[in-house]
Amino acid sequence: MIPDFEYAAFVWSSYLVFALVMTWQVVQPMLRRRRIKKQLLEQFEEQQAARLMQNRNSQNQNFRENRI
Amino acid sequence: MSHQDEQVWVIWKTLKRWFHMLGSPPTFSRFARTVSPWLWAAFAICLVYGIYLALYVVPPDYQQSDTSRIMYIHVPSAWQAMLIYVIMAVLASIALIWRIRMTEIMAMSCAPIGAAFTLICLVTGSIWGRPMWGTWWEWDARLTSMLVLLFIYIGIMALYAAFDDRRKAARIASVLVLAGAVNIPIIHFSVEWWTTLHQGQTIRLLGESSLHSSMMPPLLWLTVAIKFMFGAALLDRSRNELLEQDQSKQWVQRELEGQFDARQQTRAADHA
Amino acid sequence: MAKTSPFLALLKRDIKLSIRRAGETLLPLFFLFAVVVLIPLGVGPGPNLLSLMAPGMIWVAALLASLLALDQLFRGDLDDGTLEQWFIGPSSGYAQLGARLISHWLISALPVIVFSPLAAIMLHLPLEALPVLILTLLIGTPALSLIGSLAAALTLTTRGAGGLLPILVFPMVVPLLIFATGAVSLAAEGTVSNPHLGLLLAFTILNLSLMPIAIRAALKMNLE
Repeated sequence: MIPDFEYAAFVWSSYLVFALVMTWQVVQPMLRRRRIKKQLLEQFEEQQAARLMQNRNSQNQNFRENRI
Repeated sequence: MSHQDEQVWVIWKTLKRWFHMLGSPPTFSRFARTVSPWLWAAFAICLVYGIYLALYVVPPDYQQSDTSRIMYIHVPSAWQAMLIYVIMAVLASIALIWRIRMTEIMAMSCAPIGAAFTLICLVTGSIWGRPMWGTWWEWDARLTSMLVLLFIYIGIMALYAAFDDRRKAARIASVLVLAGAVNIPIIHFSVEWWTTLHQGQTIRLLGESSLHSSMMPPLLWLTVAIKFMFGAALLDRSRNELLEQDQSKQWVQRELEGQFDARQQTRAADHA
Repeated sequence: MAKTSPFLALLKRDIKLSIRRAGETLLPLFFLFAVVVLIPLGVGPGPNLLSLMAPGMIWVAALLASLLALDQLFRGDLDDGTLEQWFIGPSSGYAQLGARLISHWLISALPVIVFSPLAAIMLHLPLEALPVLILTLLIGTPALSLIGSLAAALTLTTRGAGGLLPILVFPMVVPLLIFATGAVSLAAEGTVSNPHLGLLLAFTILNLSLMPIAIRAALKMNLE
């Protein structure tokens, strides 16, 4: 049964405020987590690349040392 | 020791062990990741049913007509705003006494959620006041103390954000949390004292005896919904803070490794 | 052996410094009279209106005046390293903290109290309310200094400390303002204001007993 909303504007705007704030509370942590993960992924890839370079350098060095 | 005493002892030991385990960042992070979706789901279910009851099932109040429907979100939000402060004060005192890092982070994660509920309480109270009192803002004792509470929450958040060292920030803001905890009852009392001095009683959104039994179910459902929401949001926010602070730590990389590998594989596939 | 205690030494030094920097010291007073002159210019000079608003205006002016020097309360000692010495060795730091709080009160609150009758007369506050006004200022301003000092201690090593102070101070001075101005308003109406004065006193005593602990903790954490 849907009652006739005599003060509909006030009721609806209150529930709208509630919905907006709740949505913000749900979305804000999600966005922040996504940002942190992206940052971490970049960091992680950088580290892997650095490790790769290091390995290659040390291999080259070994190679040269063996030759001499 | 009797059998019952032994059982109580075992329960106590278990709780204590859980508390200590959750104090470890990797365990907390895993716990938060597993539990928070369930809490969000419980929140959604209770919320939808509660709002259905509040807007469609319950008949309008004989005194306040349909504006009483605002109460179903206003009152649970007000309760939660105050409860969050209590929880935050408990966490802050644990953080200050035992210097447990997880409680520092959780105490600080409480503040924005508490501020959000205080804001809801203030705005809905003000909207309710328009048809009932004839003004958008009435210097009613409860609304005024809620406004002061909002400023306290904002002060805590601003202070926490103003330091570079996150642990130091959390501990110093915890001191403010405790100072506020002592002051809030006094502020509430003084504001009530002030309004009785300057004006008579006003109509209350939640009158002393006007709570009809038909109004209880939506109120309860929405109160429970908001409790779930607080739990979920607290876990999410604390975990975010933890991940951000521990970016360079081993456990974060280990926990996220699986996800990174998966993403890198999809990227490699895209490139190929 | 005429070794002065750290308490007296710091108190003397602070007062000497404030006398030397008379311009800065008189700033709160100037602030009080700026409010007393500007608000009548803003709302109109009707004596009834002004006498109704006088207690609140004088108290708000005192409150804002106490914020003025707050930013510098511990900063100088932090920068030259004296603050760390407050807590070194057997010293608990309470003596130095007490001295600093008293000197802050003497410098920022006492001039306002001394000149408040003049401000009250300019605002047409009934003369019979004058003793109560001075009494509320005497009882209430120590609590004001304590609350302000906590805010100053909390924000000591923050980025942009000054901006945070009003946000932190404002909620905590609400009871103070309500009890104090309530007492003065009742006295101006010719009724008894004892309950308000009692509550004001209780608030100050509570602050006197708890605030030093919080301020000391905040200072030490900022030094870490």
